[in-house]
Amino acid sequence: MTNVFPAMQDLARRILAIEAARANAADTQVDEAARACAKLQEPLSRFTGPAGFFSLLSRALVLAKAEVPALRVVQVRADGSLAGFDEIKRDNDTVKFEIGGVVLVAHLLGLLATFIGESLTRRVACDAWPDASLDSTDLNREETP
Amino acid sequence: MSAQDKVTIRMVPTGVPGLDEILGGGLPEFSFNIIAGAPGSGKTTLAHQIMFANATAERPAIYFTVLGEPAIKMLRYQQQYGFFDQAKLNTAIRFINLSHVVLEKDLGAVLEEIIREVEAANPALVLVDSFRTVVRKAQGAVSDVELQGFIQRLALHLASWQATTFLIGEYVEAEIRDNPVFTVADGLLWLSQQIERNSIVRKLQVVKLRGQGSVPGMHTVRITEAGLQTFPRTFGLTGKDEHPKGLRRLSTGIAKFDELLHGGIPEGDSVLLAGPSGSGKSIIATQFIAEGIKQGEPGIVAIFEERPGQYVRRAATFGFDFDTPQKNGQLEIIYLRPLDLSVDETVHEIVAKVKKIGAKRLVIDSLAGFEMALAPDFRTDFRESLYRMIGALTRMGVTIISTVEIEDVFTAMALSNFVISFLADDIVRLRYVSLNGQLRRMLLVVKMRGGAHSIDMNEYQVTDKGIVIGKPLRGYRGLISGIPGPWNAGPADRSLSPDESAANP
Repeated sequence: MTNVFPAMQDLARRILAIEAARANAADTQVDEAARACAKLQEPLSRFTGPAGFFSLLSRALVLAKAEVPALRVVQVRADGSLAGFDEIKRDNDTVKFEIGGVVLVAHLLGLLATFIGESLTRRVACDAWPDASLDSTDLNREETP
Repeated sequence: MSAQDKVTIRMVPTGVPGLDEILGGGLPEFSFNIIAGAPGSGKTTLAHQIMFANATAERPAIYFTVLGEPAIKMLRYQQQYGFFDQAKLNTAIRFINLSHVVLEKDLGAVLEEIIREVEAANPALVLVDSFRTVVRKAQGAVSDVELQGFIQRLALHLASWQATTFLIGEYVEAEIRDNPVFTVADGLLWLSQQIERNSIVRKLQVVKLRGQGSVPGMHTVRITEAGLQTFPRTFGLTGKDEHPKGLRRLSTGIAKFDELLHGGIPEGDSVLLAGPSGSGKSIIATQFIAEGIKQGEPGIVAIFEERPGQYVRRAATFGFDFDTPQKNGQLEIIYLRPLDLSVDETVHEIVAKVKKIGAKRLVIDSLAGFEMALAPDFRTDFRESLYRMIGALTRMGVTIISTVEIEDVFTAMALSNFVISFLADDIVRLRYVSLNGQLRRMLLVVKMRGGAHSIDMNEYQVTDKGIVIGKPLRGYRGLISGIPGPWNAGPADRSLSPDESAANP
């Protein structure tokens, strides 16, 4: 069971659903997570710099790996992109892919929310996906034990 | 050149209470400014406050972060302040991280990146935090001339693009002479923290501001949850009409005292009420306020040694209801005991209350308590601060009674511990005298700048109705020493007994 805010999980699921709808049929959920992280890279780099984004994503990945061991092969490249999904694809475990993707993005958003608050995190997400109605996501719910 | 021939420079409001007055109206539009100071002095908060006050979606602000505090941390902490408006983020306010450009490339690339973003966004404000790190990185690689050229090109380009610019940096005062950025800058705001004993005092100085008259000197700054607040040394009263003094007399509420003053205290005067502990200074001040309320003249009491509740209860013991006038807006009791208080903050509070209730009378009880509430750094300037404070308040037409405690010595009669007698228009001295084996009280009007006054030294008593002034003490030599002897040889004690004098309120 994940420790990240339920609201962040909801937001991550919605983001990944948006990415899935835009993706080719051949793409997997984890690839969508990689694309979601790549989309967050630009606005987050404005706040943290490329090195700061690398640190945040690396931390999010460590937290996600603790919950979804299948992500152990995933790495953050020096440029802030994610590597290792091809290997996960070969296992062909869709459920793990889906959970892994949601948990990774949720942790990235959760870290951001820890620093700048849920409200500003939602604004960052809205800027990254301006066509989506992410602002309706309830981010104000408290963390569940 | 006539006024109509001069270019009109629009002022950019800072959004910082008091700062526009210090600057002489605001910051000149399209100026190139530096916000400098040591770590923790409030530079970034000041920059954010100015940015949030001015940025709009049409004319946004670009905040370039370099090797100092990253934007994510700024957002984390700055959103705690009242001025932070998250709706402006990424619309009216854009953060751009330049760290990698500064680290990996040269000054030319930094300039190119800034220009690219500015031309794309058409910002009204450009902020670079910390510009010091840009320069520090470059200093090893380029000559001073190249560095100055970079700063000049940056300043010229940003002004040409009609942006008001703020470079934020950690500098030390010794750099003012040699650092090229200070030469190019139109404005230089210097923030500092002064530490004395356990006290920290924040101050702001406008070291340089081209084209307009700013208020010189060090101005107190306080950072609260609302953000920065500055307290101009002018107390916000520049250019205000002066109220003529002494057009009428204000009753003290003690008829006999009014007689000694030849009709009461001249309106707009500053009165120093000096005396030892227990001599009744606070009671006279309380009666002065109570009489004002009775006459429809709202009053303010600034107390430092007891809490408002205690003060009101003590007034009630003399038959004065201070609860009702507080509710009716006729009386404000200001209790100021924060740590590291400055005179400027105190006056700011008093001036705000004077304006709020239209106060005509003010009591400061006491100057000793006031001084104790100040940060040590301000205590050294107490006389100068009092001079400015009393001048500012009396110009507003407020009549002030300040109490000051003096330890009586029985060889001389001091007027104040603060060497501030020259600040007072009128001085009234209370003291103990030893008469007939009793420690009795004596009052005398030492000085009235506005005219004549009684030169008698009257005995008085503190009763449950307040101060009761008796007849003059005559027939004694050396009354002001506190240990008088008979004027003539022989038993000539002609002073009134307490019972006799009580019959003369």
